[in-house]
Formats: sequence, structure tokens, C-alpha cells
Amino acid sequence: MAVQADRVFVLPGDEVPAALIPSHPKKALKLGPGLRHVPPSELIPTVAGQLATDHKKNSIWVEYNGGRYIPAVGDLVICSVQRSGPDYYYVTITDYTPNAILPQLAFEMATKKTRPQLNHGALVYARVCLANRHMDPELECVSPTTGKADGLGPLVGGMLYDISLGMSRRLLMRKSVEEGKVAVLDELGSAGLAFETAVGRNGKLWVNSESVKTVLIVGRAVKETDENHLNVEQQKKLVRKLVKEMN
Amino acid sequence: MRGTVALGPYLTGAIIISKTTLDSKLARVYVETFIMTVTTEPEALLSHLYKADGSATYSHAGYTVIGAVNGPIEAQKRDELPEEAIVDVIVRPAAGVGGTRERHLESLLQSTLRQVILVNSFPRTLIQIILQITVTPENEYINGKLVQANVNLPVLPALLQTAILSLLSASLPMAATLTSTSLAIIQEDGRPHIVTNPTARQVEQSKSFHVLAFTSQNELILAESEGAFTLKEWDDIYGAAYRKCCTTASIGDTDTLMDEGTTGADLKRFTRSIIEQKTASDLHWK
Repeated sequence: MAVQADRVFVLPGDEVPAALIPSHPKKALKLGPGLRHVPPSELIPTVAGQLATDHKKNSIWVEYNGGRYIPAVGDLVICSVQRSGPDYYYVTITDYTPNAILPQLAFEMATKKTRPQLNHGALVYARVCLANRHMDPELECVSPTTGKADGLGPLVGGMLYDISLGMSRRLLMRKSVEEGKVAVLDELGSAGLAFETAVGRNGKLWVNSESVKTVLIVGRAVKETDENHLNVEQQKKLVRKLVKEMN
Repeated sequence: MRGTVALGPYLTGAIIISKTTLDSKLARVYVETFIMTVTTEPEALLSHLYKADGSATYSHAGYTVIGAVNGPIEAQKRDELPEEAIVDVIVRPAAGVGGTRERHLESLLQSTLRQVILVNSFPRTLIQIILQITVTPENEYINGKLVQANVNLPVLPALLQTAILSLLSASLPMAATLTSTSLAIIQEDGRPHIVTNPTARQVEQSKSFHVLAFTSQNELILAESEGAFTLKEWDDIYGAAYRKCCTTASIGDTDTLMDEGTTGADLKRFTRSIIEQKTASDLHWK
């Protein structure tokens, strides 16, 4: 996806080398996170990170890890219910930020009578459908076009782990093994463990399994991969070690 | 042959290096003597507090400061601004509780940092910056009398640098980065003499003391002065601070300049290299 040669490091306020800005004859240039457009034609990074470009999509962004999650439309997040109002659930996406709202009817097959009952502390896997700096974010658990949940909805049981924003981005990549270099979940699966996971872009990982041991092992493996910057080989080694310890 | 004098870890002082060169043709020995100012290199640690959104520990010129940044988080209803984020700076001294001295530093930092952070991106929120001073330069004694910096300013460059590194670690959107330095004018042999990163004793003896900060676009953003000085002296101070904080070298040829024994640390290059290392280790999977 991103070309290797463009590993350019930028600090806020730096100049973006003009040669790196993709130029597509027809498509408009798309700016991703970490870049600011100052009219008429200046591009200025706002965070420290590596510049990444995608010539096919004619887009450019700054790749970085860390900081607080800032909601963006289309992101999948794991949030916890704070309280329930007449029409909405008030949920938290990150700590110490204003609550996001989740309409009670934004679930699959939900009607006034069959809406899910969620209490304080319940976890919900949801998609951000409105994110705007002047308003509280709004979430949904159903695709507005098809009316299907597509895996979104309340998360029952299991355990929630905190991971870095970069790790959750890698786990959510379509080809997380090839592009994100995280093989830890695949390895755990092929080692014979049965579990399900949900990854929130807000730095949350939910793991569920029949056996409590498996939940703990999966969570530990992912957290260790994240914190110790393990590469694919080391991840395989870690999984072998953990599975051996379990038996 | 090179002789070096070991100094305390945080002292800035003059040492004498004798260089003995043997010229084989003339079979003569030259002894050259230089006087060089030695400043310990700045050091920093990034994102080491895992509960905070961003954090940094920075030590330079005898000061060590731990910084933590949280934000954007929910602001109290009575404080929030409708169009921009509040920048809240809290300075905690190395010993005791903060007083007017810390409030003064906080107000200087607040007004500087809110110009750098893109506060308009997060209306009605709070960006909290906590700076804990942990080490101050060792006190110096003159004739058995304790010399303590009786001004607030000497710690300001360290606080600013820590705040900027913490903000970078928290990935908060900013318009630019900052570098800051302190300078003093000392009367020496009847002539004024500029000292960068002066010690507590030098500050005491100085005619005037200055703290300047520049953005990464080489624009002056903060200038605080104490004492008596002329306009000409201030211009010299500005020039000295500019050379210290702003490199004219472009990003590509930073290595070549490094070898030429530039006096003291180049702060701009330091910030860049420390953040670059951090980013590279974070994005090791790319």
C-alpha cells in the first residue's frame, strides 16, 4: 500500500515535500489524520509521525501511535454504557470525555418493544455515525442501508483489554498479518484455542471464550505484542510459550 | 593528548583542554589551549507514564521536569470556551506546594502553549498539562552563604521543552514545535558577556537574565527579561538565542554539522531526533 521510500518523518509545522504529495489527474487529493490544509495550497502536518501516501486513492496522511482517541465517522469502537435515557443510551468511548449517544433503536431488529436492555457498565460494539467537534459523537449498531448488524451490538461476557491506538489500527486492518504484522491472533487460533474478539478503534480489545484461561492468554498475548513491539517471529514464539504454559 | 576535567552532572562551567600536537617537520611541540563551555546534553524520556495520554521527562542544564498531558477531555461547564479548548497548565515545584511563583510560570506557559496548540480543533474541551519539577540545580555556596535563584525564570526553558515533548507524545495537533533557552549578561573584565544556560551563581551575578522561545518556523514566541539592559544588549541576546534555538541547516545535512563541535546542544535537532526515535519504534511494523 504505502511506498517504502516515503518514510519521511515530520514534526508539526514542517514542510511536506512536494514530491511526496500524490497527484492524480482526476481524483481530488484526500487528507488523512495529522494533516492540515491552509488555503490556498499549503499542507502542514499537525502531529509528529511518518508520512504515508496511497497513490491509488490519491490520499496522504501521517501515521502515528498514541494519544487519545478522537472519534471519526465510520470507526468501530467498543464503548460502555453509562446510563439510559428515554430514547438514547449515554455511553463512554474514552475516559473523561463527554458521553456519546447511542439511540435505543439503532440496533438490529429493534422496535419500541424489542429494544435491548442495557445497564450501566454493559459493553457495546458500535460504529461512529456522527463525529463533529462541536457536538457529542453519535453511534449506531446497525447498518443504515441494509438494516443488518454486521457483528455490531452488545458484547456479553468476556473481558476488555486496553491496547494502544496503533495496535487497534493494525488489528483492524483488512490484511492484519501482511500489512499490520500481527500474527498473534491467527497463531493462537491455529494452536487450537477457541475464542472470539472484537477490536475497538478507541484502543480496546474484547476477548470472549468458553474457558477463562483462553481469555487471559489471548489478552496477555496481544498486550505483550503491543507493549514490547514484537515482530511476527517473536509473536509466534510467545504464543508457543503461552500455550505450553497453559497445558 | 587531551585532558578533561570531570564536572558534576549538572554543572555548566569552563574547562581547559590542552591539545598537544607534534609537528614532525619542524620537530616542535605546540601546546594549544582552549577554553570551552561545557553543557551537558539534554536528555528525554517519552511516553513513560501509561495512564496519561502523553508524557515526557526532560533534563537539561540542571533541571529535570516530568510532564503529563491529558486531552482533549471534558471541561467543567463554567470554564469551557465555546470556540476553543482550554489549555490548563499546572506547575508543581520540586519541594513544597506551589505559590505565586508557580502561578506566574503557569500563566507564561499557558499563553505560549495555547498559541502553538490548535485549540480551535477541540471546542468546549480541556487540555491539561501537568509539569512536576523533580530536580533543580544543586545549590552553590559563596562564602558559606547559600545562593538560590531568587527569580522564577531559570526553570522556564525546561518547563517549556517538557510541555512540548509531552504534547508531541500525546499527538495533540499543533501548529509548530518550540525550543527555548535562557541567557544571562555577565560583566566580565568590564565588558558584557553573554552566557547561555547560566548557573544559579551566574544568574545571581548577572546584570540581566532572559528567557527566549522560538517556534520551529524560527519565530520568536516568548521573551521574558529581568534586570537592566540596553536595546543593543537585547539584540545580542536575541542573536545568541536564535543561534541556540533555531538551526539554519536543513533536515538533510544535520549530521555534517554535528561533528564541527558546535557549542552545547542544538535543541531543535534534539527534539527532532528524540521524537523520530520514538516514532520509529512505535511504527516498527511498517
